[in-house]
Amino acid sequence: MGVSVAEGTITAWRKRPGDWIERDETVVEISTDKVETEVPSPAAGRLREVLVEEGATVDVGTLLATLDTAARPGEAHADEHEAEPGERSGVVSPVVRRIAAEHGIDVARLRGSGRRGRVTKKDVLALVNEQGGAGPESAIPAQEGDGGRQRAPAGERLSLMRRQIGEHMVRSLKTAAHCTTVVEADMSAVEAARGRLSYLAFVARAAVASLREHPSLNATIEGEHLTVHSEVHLGVAVSLGEEGLIVPVIRNAHDLSHEGLATRIADVAERARSKRLLPEEVEGGTFTITNPGRFGALLATPIINQPQVAILDLEAVTKRPVVVTDEQGRDSIAVRPMTYLCMSWDHRALDGVLAARFLSSVRRNLESWSG
Amino acid sequence: MPELTYLEAISDGLREEMRHDESVFCLGQDIGSFGGAFKVTEGLADEFGADRMWDTPLAESAIVGAAVGAAVEGMRPIAEMQFADFIACGFDQLVNVAAKMHYRQGLAVPLVVRLPSGGGFSGGPFHSQNPEAWFLQAPGLKVVAPSTPEDAKGLLASAVRDPNPVLYLEHKHLYRRLRGEVAKGRYETPLGEVRVARPGSDLTLVAYGAMVHTALEAVEDLDGARVEVLDLRTLCPLDREGILGSVRKTGKVVVLHEATRSCGVGAEVCALIAEEAFEDLDGPVVRVTAPDVPIPFSPPLESAVLPQVDQVREACRELLEY
Repeated sequence: MGVSVAEGTITAWRKRPGDWIERDETVVEISTDKVETEVPSPAAGRLREVLVEEGATVDVGTLLATLDTAARPGEAHADEHEAEPGERSGVVSPVVRRIAAEHGIDVARLRGSGRRGRVTKKDVLALVNEQGGAGPESAIPAQEGDGGRQRAPAGERLSLMRRQIGEHMVRSLKTAAHCTTVVEADMSAVEAARGRLSYLAFVARAAVASLREHPSLNATIEGEHLTVHSEVHLGVAVSLGEEGLIVPVIRNAHDLSHEGLATRIADVAERARSKRLLPEEVEGGTFTITNPGRFGALLATPIINQPQVAILDLEAVTKRPVVVTDEQGRDSIAVRPMTYLCMSWDHRALDGVLAARFLSSVRRNLESWSG
Repeated sequence: MPELTYLEAISDGLREEMRHDESVFCLGQDIGSFGGAFKVTEGLADEFGADRMWDTPLAESAIVGAAVGAAVEGMRPIAEMQFADFIACGFDQLVNVAAKMHYRQGLAVPLVVRLPSGGGFSGGPFHSQNPEAWFLQAPGLKVVAPSTPEDAKGLLASAVRDPNPVLYLEHKHLYRRLRGEVAKGRYETPLGEVRVARPGSDLTLVAYGAMVHTALEAVEDLDGARVEVLDLRTLCPLDREGILGSVRKTGKVVVLHEATRSCGVGAEVCALIAEEAFEDLDGPVVRVTAPDVPIPFSPPLESAVLPQVDQVREACRELLEY
C-alpha cells in the first residue's frame, strides 16, 4: 500500500480460518480509494483468525487476521475438507495458467466447474470462445507456435489500472456509435476573466450551462434504454501520469457557482493524484470533460465514458489569426486565443445536429463570458 | 478378413514369417511336436520340420544365448519362454550380450523373444508376471506388447524384421478370449507407434496389452465423458509424440498397467508428460497399476492386486471431476 493510502475496505477474504496459506499466496482482497488489490501472505501458515469482516473499512495498520506460522500443512483440520459453496479452489493448473495468460484472463476472479470451484481447462477455453477473439480479454492474441503449440506472449503484464482502462475503452468502442464533432471557440473573454484559473473550469461551467439547455447530451444509454438526466454530474478526467487516468465525478455540478465548480475540480484532481478519492466519487457521471489540452495537442477524438452519451475534449488554447467582424460588419484579422472543442457522441442516442447545437451553445457561453 | 483368436494370430504370424524367410526359425521348450505349453506353435513342426522348430533343454540362458549366436550369424531366431517369468534365467544373455552387441561390436541381433505374460488366471507368483519394465533399463532392447489379434500378428512381423533384439509380450489372458479380424498374408504393424483404441477429448487413458480391454470397458459409459484410450503397443521405444499429442488435447492423463507400480512403464510415461507437456496439464497425472507385490495365487487376492474395471472407472471419474 502506498503511503498516501489512509484506509481500505475488505472486499473479499480468499482464505478462511483454518485454511493453509503459502507464503505470498493471496489472503484477502482490499479496495482502497484508488485501487483494488490483493494482499499476499507474509509467511506460510494456517489462518487462525479473521478480525475484519468483508465490507468493513478500516484504517491502514489495522490488524486484519492472525496467522499460525507454527502450523504444518496437511494437518487435519476441521475446516480443511469442508468446502463451502462459493469457496474457490486456489489451484490453477499449468494449462489453465497458460491459456489465461495468453488471453489476459484473471483466473482468480472466476469460479470454475472443477472440484471446489477450480477453473478447469474447459472453463477457461469456454470463456475464450465466448469472447470470440474480439473481446478485450483477447486483446493479446494467442501466438501460433510450431506444431500449433501456443506460447505465452512476451513482455510485462499490464497493471491492473491499465487493464481496467483498456477493458473500459474497448467496451465503449464496441458499444457506442462514436462520432466526433469539432467547433472552434474564441477564448478572449475567458482569457480576460480567468486570472490564475485554468481554462478547464470555464469550459466546465459553460458545458454545464449548455447541458441544462440541451439535456439530451446529459444522458446515459444502456442497451436500448436512454435516460435523460436533469442533474448534471460532471466527470472530469484526471491524468495520473504514466499510471493511467481516473474520472472523478462532481455531483450536481449545475448547483455550483463558477468559483465553486473551479474549487471542486481542483479538489478532486488533487485528491485523485494523491489517491484519496472515495469509491462513490468515481461513479454516476452523466457527462465527461477531458482536458489533455494543456500539453499542446490541437484535436482529439475521445472515447465516450460508458454509459454516457458524450464526452467533451478541451485541447490547447493557442493564439491564431482569425477573421473578426466588428459591430459595423467590417472584417479584419485579429490575433485571438483560440481552441477546438471536440466532442465525441453516441450516434445511437442522438444525431449530429444536436451535437453541433450543443457545441455552439458551449462556444457562445465561452465567447460571451461575463463572469 | 478371417476372425482369429489372439493366439491364432500369433501362430499365423509365426507361420507367415517362416514361410517368407528361411532364416526365421523357432526355438524353445516343447515347441516342436508338442506345439508349446500354450499350443501357439502347434502344427508348425509339421510344416517346417524339426530343423526350424527346435526343442531345447529347460535352460533359458541357453535358449537366449543360442538365439543371440544365430542372430549374429545372420539368422532370425524366435525364442519362446514358456512363461515370461522365466526370462529371468536368460537375463544375462539378453541385457549383457544381446543388448550390448550393437554398441560394442556394431552387430545386428535380429532376434525375438516371445514372453507369455500377465495374470488373471490364478497362475500365482511365478507364472503371472509382467516383466517389461526390467528391460526398459537395458538400452539396445525393444519391447512390444500387442493388445489385439491384428497387432499381435503385425507387431510380430515387425519384431522379426527389426535388426535389434525385441521382447514380444503376449498376454496369456487374451490367448483364447479375444477374437478379431486379422488380414491374410504378411503385414507389419510399425514399432513405436501408439494406436488410438478409442478417440476422445476429455481425458487420455494410456494402456497396453490386456489392460487396453479393461480401459475400454471402464470408459465405455462414463457419464458421457469422452475418454481417449491410447494403446501403447510398443513400450520401448515409446511413441513420445503420440502420447504428448493426446495429452495436449485432453490435459488429463491416467496411465494404466497390470505390472507393478514403481519404476514401470507408467512411471516413464508420467515422467515424459511432466517434462514435455507440463503446460498442457489440467490435473495431476494418475497411475492405476498393480501394487508393488507379487501376484497372489488366491483368486480374490489376485483380483484385488490386478487393476479392475471399477478401479479404472473411479480413477478416471476422479480426474474428470478435478
